[in-house]
Amino acid sequence: MSHVADPVASILAGYRPLAGGYDELVDAAGRVRPHWRPFVEALEQVGLPELNRRADGIARRLRESGVYYRAYDRDADQAWPLSATPVLISAEDWRIIEAGVIQRARLMEAALTDFYGPRNLVANGDVPAAIITGSPDFLRPMAGRTPAGGRHLSFYGVDLGRAPDGRWWVLNDRTQAPSGAGYALGNRIALARTLPETMHDLDVQRLAGFFQTFRATLTARSAPDSAGVCLLTPGPYNETYYEHAYLARYLGFLLVEGEDLAVRNGAVFLRTVAGLKKIDMLLRRLDADFADPLELNPSSQLGAPGLAHAARTGAVSFANALGSGLVESRALMSFWPKLSQRLLGEDLLLPNIATWWCGDDAARDVVRARFDDLAIAPAFTNERGGLFSFGAAQAAALSPQDRAAVLARMERRGGDFVGQELVTLSSTPVMSPEGFEPRPFQLRVFVAATQDGWVVMPGGFCRVSSRNDPLAISMQRGGMSADAWVLADGPLVYRSLLPSANALEIRRAIGALTTRTAENMFWLGRYLERADACLRLVRALATRAGERDPEAVDVAERLCSLLETWGAIADIEQDERSAGEAAAEAMQATDMFGAPPVLVRRALHAASAIRDMLSPDAWRMIKGLDRQLSEPLDGAVADTLDRAERGLRELAAFAGYAHENMTRSTGWAILEIGRRVERGLAVARYTANFGVSDAGPAALDALLELGDSQITYARRYFVTASPAAVADLLIFDEDNPRSCAFQARHLRDLLDQLPESAHADAVHALRRSVVLLEAAMASHSPGDVDAAFMTSLDAAFLHVASSFAELYLADHPDAP
Amino acid sequence: MKYRIRMISSTHYDTSAPLGSHVLRLKPRESAAQRVTSFAIEIEPPPADVIEGVDFFGNATQTFTIEKPHDVFVFRAIAEVETTAAPPALDAPSPAWETVRARAWADADNSPWSPAQFLFPSRIVSLDDDITAYAAVSFPPGRPIVAALDELMRRIHADFIYDVDATDVTTTPTAAFAARRGVCQDFAQVMIAGLRGLGLPAAYVSGFLRTMPPPGKPRLEGADATHAWVSAWCGPDLGWIDLDPTNAMLPGNSHITIGAGRDYADVAPEIGVIVTYGKQALEVAVDVTPLD
Repeated sequence: MSHVADPVASILAGYRPLAGGYDELVDAAGRVRPHWRPFVEALEQVGLPELNRRADGIARRLRESGVYYRAYDRDADQAWPLSATPVLISAEDWRIIEAGVIQRARLMEAALTDFYGPRNLVANGDVPAAIITGSPDFLRPMAGRTPAGGRHLSFYGVDLGRAPDGRWWVLNDRTQAPSGAGYALGNRIALARTLPETMHDLDVQRLAGFFQTFRATLTARSAPDSAGVCLLTPGPYNETYYEHAYLARYLGFLLVEGEDLAVRNGAVFLRTVAGLKKIDMLLRRLDADFADPLELNPSSQLGAPGLAHAARTGAVSFANALGSGLVESRALMSFWPKLSQRLLGEDLLLPNIATWWCGDDAARDVVRARFDDLAIAPAFTNERGGLFSFGAAQAAALSPQDRAAVLARMERRGGDFVGQELVTLSSTPVMSPEGFEPRPFQLRVFVAATQDGWVVMPGGFCRVSSRNDPLAISMQRGGMSADAWVLADGPLVYRSLLPSANALEIRRAIGALTTRTAENMFWLGRYLERADACLRLVRALATRAGERDPEAVDVAERLCSLLETWGAIADIEQDERSAGEAAAEAMQATDMFGAPPVLVRRALHAASAIRDMLSPDAWRMIKGLDRQLSEPLDGAVADTLDRAERGLRELAAFAGYAHENMTRSTGWAILEIGRRVERGLAVARYTANFGVSDAGPAALDALLELGDSQITYARRYFVTASPAAVADLLIFDEDNPRSCAFQARHLRDLLDQLPESAHADAVHALRRSVVLLEAAMASHSPGDVDAAFMTSLDAAFLHVASSFAELYLADHPDAP
Repeated sequence: MKYRIRMISSTHYDTSAPLGSHVLRLKPRESAAQRVTSFAIEIEPPPADVIEGVDFFGNATQTFTIEKPHDVFVFRAIAEVETTAAPPALDAPSPAWETVRARAWADADNSPWSPAQFLFPSRIVSLDDDITAYAAVSFPPGRPIVAALDELMRRIHADFIYDVDATDVTTTPTAAFAARRGVCQDFAQVMIAGLRGLGLPAAYVSGFLRTMPPPGKPRLEGADATHAWVSAWCGPDLGWIDLDPTNAMLPGNSHITIGAGRDYADVAPEIGVIVTYGKQALEVAVDVTPLD
């Protein structure tokens, strides 16, 4: 094909469509297609260098909106790579797609209803029984039941590709728990900031209305006395967890994990800090097999025992229903044209890939005869120990051994295989600094059930290949995403991505705080504060590196032994390492439970489990600190000192951020309780080591430094430190934000912000623990601070922490 | 034969469990060959509410949650059963195994005991090329299915060592096959993996054997615990035929069926989800006495 011959598009010079496929941007004669023309003109005006400059900001924008994904084989979060160029879909094409995917959603729903219900399709011979029984997603405990609310599918995803003749084809059905809609939303927001004027001028259809409808439909299925719709996620280790957190925040649903749920007397409850709260509607992103270890996968730790029974009795609705993944089977692809006639009395509006299920002898003969022209794929998913380990493959590309193995297995168990027509995808432009290039892509479209029908998200999630190979089969890995812009026929009515003012109910507290979230909040606060306390020790130690003055050496040795006691450095003989070495060791330890990098990593883990509760800024601060502390150190004392100083600054920034930007919710109070307890403990322990009555001036100076109180002290006393005056400042002074008394007073105030609890004994025990803490300080004076008093203060802070955990974080098994 | 069956299981937790959710599958199955005249179950500590149910494959279930802290979880079941099964004759005519296979894959029935339910890998039984090749030796082209099944059962009995220490309830047939060792569950699951690998429907049956043999007969392996064997589909006329590879026999009057499904995971006598830390110690005792 020739390169672009269009005179308006000098920016497209060098764009050469791929041979053999349809190109979205230009026609066979090399002319820009009409619906792309205004877009290309806009690009022309902005110019290639400016476009590339803007594209560089996309990854940052995605991070800002919280769009990440986690690759299973890596520990790090990655920003979803997003193409700076959207795929434009004309209004005419969209009408075809919309009608086609709605019809297919109806078909999927009707088929699920029969497969789990009367089984007429199998009994009448329309579908062989083995197609149903062979799917690992045919959940036998759900057979014979109509799901609560009467529907299996609430949210359906379908992958489309465009054939060389310009027709759209269905490549895959996603009926279990389709991913991508949240990423599509994130992609849209990032791109809207990159090409604002273009998007506005082109009348690109907005996504907000679709999500409003989806939200309203699910909310209507939840009883008013329940705790609201919850989004059930497998948790932070899932590849698409960030999408779950992002969608939960966007839709205003509570993000929950299996351990947040409890089934009592057949009803489903949320474990919250205020006790068990009834729920009845779960938007499910957890694969159904993992939902219930009693009736489904017994090794699952992601679900809750009793959920399957609750789903059967209708006590809880799932969107999508447990077992809806059944109709994702490739094996069913060969039957949909016939089933569409049988169930709907209609021909398929969008064809799906031609497929032959080899459990049928005649179909197997076709596949054998055309072997090299086809893709060979597992008939069902291959998760449950089938014979097929390599997913879909182009038969002609199989090695001789694999080919022989596949043919032998097809002979014995043909029903495990399908043959599928190889699909050539269309291409869409992607931008590089040099210009635009065509890349094959497929489009995932989302359909949501409404009370009386179906609605399609006017957009989609495109996966764009990183290679030039237009065969759909080469798309299994890699590549990037692209936004899909559906163009409107006429001018659009503007709708914000935020819910419209009329639809918005004023809510002060969003939902309930789950016990798991509370626990992570509490430990986030504790780990961060403990890291702060430890960094102060390291800083104090590093500044004393190389000291020869005996008093200073003594202080350094005591700092070292405190770091040992805290588990920040290995416990070895003092003379085996210098102060500088000990400080550097603490800053680099990855296997010492009390070392700053380990504490920050734990804080990060706690934070990652409550992503929906943290703003992207708060998350980024913790993430940045973690990255900083895991970089290599050169070992010089100055480097260690600098690292510790920077760490303390980051932590101060987070504390300031939490103070200024977090709503004073229960979650905030719990984070603060964690911090206050931990700070009280640290100051008590500093004082026990450096501040008891026989302490010399060097020790007292170190204590003031650790307690961040040198300036206050100097302004008050103008003299060298005296033990009683230092103790007064660090223990008893309620106005010093680092003092034990200050922590105690704040703990008392924070308790008032916690939800009421029915466990009167435990409530009393918690209040008493704070009273005891305050009483311990009230009954002593700065003059009689000795080791025994410091030990009792230490114990009193720990007692507050354990009383708090007993009341709000423990599982109280009694029914509501 | 009439039998009284007693089964006691007690689990001791190192630290008290605040909560435990359990499903029991202990009630012997009713069938043409087996009648249950009485069945009773006791649970300690007593749960608030026991939900009686029947699972997909027709096994009776008791589902309950213990909602108070407990160190010990005990259940006792007592059943009286009358068996009338006589094993089928091995020399009766049966269809070629390939005919049975073709029929199972083309079946237009997906009710719970249709052959199509038992063709595929299941939770514990994956397909395994080595096991399939081992099984294929007994399945030359055109051989009547019952003769082939009988030979495979006898080969497993001869080639495998009964060893209660070699495996546990989670051992896969692949691991048991590699070791050529195991207990009844492993013998049964290896045979099932081989049959499914060849494309034939095979089910897992759990049950009991009489504890003391009749005078003059040897004591059977597996008599002191729950037992397991295989059921294989032999075409629409013969239906399901049971085979016990642990004892190389066709089960008859001495085998009492409790549950049946695709593998052990479908019929486990107890599945529990408990919140506890530390170790658990499990003791199980089974006693099967003839009443006449």
